Amino acid sequence: MRKMLVAAVLLIGAAAAEAQLPGLRRRGPQAQQPQQQALLQGIEALRADFAAQSGGTTVYFAAESVGLSVAARTTLAAQANWLRRHPEVVVRIEGYGDAGDTRDHALAVGARRAEEARAYLVLMGVPAAQLSASTWGKERPGLGRAATILVR
Amino acid sequence: MKQTILSLALLGIGSAAAAQQPGQPAATVIAIPPLTSPNGGSQGNEMLAVGWQVTQQIESDLRQTAEVMPLQPNRDDYYSYPEVTAPTFSKWRAKGAKALVTGFVQARQDGRLTVGCYVYDLDKGRELARKGFAIGPNDWRRAAHKCSGLAYTAITGAPGIFDTMIAYVAESGIGDGRMRRIALMDSDGYNHRYLTAGDAMVLTPRLAPKATQLAYVSFAGGKPGVHLFDLASNQDRSLLPNDAMSFAPRFSPDGNKIAFSMMTGANSDIYAAKSAGGAPQRLTSAPGVDTDPSFSPDGSRIVFESDRGGSQQLYVMNADGTGQRRISFGGGWYGSPVWSPDGQWIAFTRRGQDGRRVGVMRPDGTAERILTNGPADEGPAWAASSREILFQRAGANGTAGLARIALDGSEPRAVTIPQGGSDPDWSGVVD
Repeated sequence: MRKMLVAAVLLIGAAAAEAQLPGLRRRGPQAQQPQQQALLQGIEALRADFAAQSGGTTVYFAAESVGLSVAARTTLAAQANWLRRHPEVVVRIEGYGDAGDTRDHALAVGARRAEEARAYLVLMGVPAAQLSASTWGKERPGLGRAATILVR
Repeated sequence: MKQTILSLALLGIGSAAAAQQPGQPAATVIAIPPLTSPNGGSQGNEMLAVGWQVTQQIESDLRQTAEVMPLQPNRDDYYSYPEVTAPTFSKWRAKGAKALVTGFVQARQDGRLTVGCYVYDLDKGRELARKGFAIGPNDWRRAAHKCSGLAYTAITGAPGIFDTMIAYVAESGIGDGRMRRIALMDSDGYNHRYLTAGDAMVLTPRLAPKATQLAYVSFAGGKPGVHLFDLASNQDRSLLPNDAMSFAPRFSPDGNKIAFSMMTGANSDIYAAKSAGGAPQRLTSAPGVDTDPSFSPDGSRIVFESDRGGSQQLYVMNADGTGQRRISFGGGWYGSPVWSPDGQWIAFTRRGQDGRRVGVMRPDGTAERILTNGPADEGPAWAASSREILFQRAGANGTAGLARIALDGSEPRAVTIPQGGSDPDWSGVVD
């Protein structure tokens, strides 16, 4: 019974997160298997294609740093390549701060990371109007990063 | 009042004396006989019953403080209505008290109650303070908090924390899906309620000085934005007309302005806007992160954090943005500064390899002292008395909770809340 309750709570939690942020919806297992891509439609198919062709939706930062690494620039250049071919897609870059930071500084650092990634995509030819930036500060677990999310 | 210190040990109340730390000044002993009533008959008995509840609440309020030590109220110490303003000082002096609270509860024609409180200096045999107010028939707890504050202020000169409110972010569930709601309660934990529904992530509730309004950060628009919540009307609105990322709000001491930080491109700067609305005024322009502004109690200066020098440090500037200079030099990173209501201290979170701890320093950066042991303490908020700090402390399992610590260095105490909690804020005395 307790297990069922926990499961229910987790489900509700996941549903709430999706309702709040469509961009954060996790890719299903099929999204990672190219042979099943035909089953995906609309934005889910675009997301899967974007992730596969860009070599990653997320770029990572060193602790305390907002500078883009060489690997991050490579990934963003590939993302820009794809986004230029899909000007109809609305994109949001979500930045994340460091877990050990204070709350508001982490928000600002996450916003800076998102903005660095956004500015690099613009530099690589993606129309600025297609891109917006946001931050989750340290409110979601994981490494300091900026994730490129296809919203719709 | 020129405070006379009396050693508790001399008073023969051993258990209370045992609670005293060596080297600390002893508390002022105060007598609180049960409140009386001018009413007669069965109504008089009802009022005496209310008075007894108020009396016990005053005792419980004052017992929480380090500076005032109440004698246990005794129902046999009944006195008549005229004695409220003419108490028998010698009786209470003989019991070792230095101060005395008397008062009454009176039924009014309109169904409400009038409560009067009087505070006396027993050594000098004179009145220190008095206050009377009308309350709803069930608001005796607030009446008691007002009396407690009257006594505490008369004895210590500092505002009491009894009639104040605490706001925080209530957290339930785990991981990304955990629900966060703005919660508000009286400082003694009563009247706990939620202000937001939990459908959007919320952070950093900040109460206006008299808890008439609350500013907080909502992610309802998919990115952080400062919202204002009016506690009288329950109206909620965005502070800014645009969708710029804004966060770290803090009211000015008069409640008319809100300082906050806003992103423009990759730059976080500090702005101030009228809480009633209007265009924000930009106060900082350094590249990098300027955030967490907090006003001095006279409103003339603002302490904030900035990483303009390469690492996150504390700076002070005039409220118009001029005269910016760094005040923290102790090593490590400094964030979330908050100016104390008496103007004497700035509380902060210091971040280092060994985690986050809460400390205080003078507004010129001297006399730095770390108060808590970490490893995950942050987000200090001052009590109205400037003698205690409320902060967020993560437990071993990662669940955040609230704790309070006195500046005298005693052990922090956990604050009881229904679930997890973070980002506490503590209001000034409510009108």
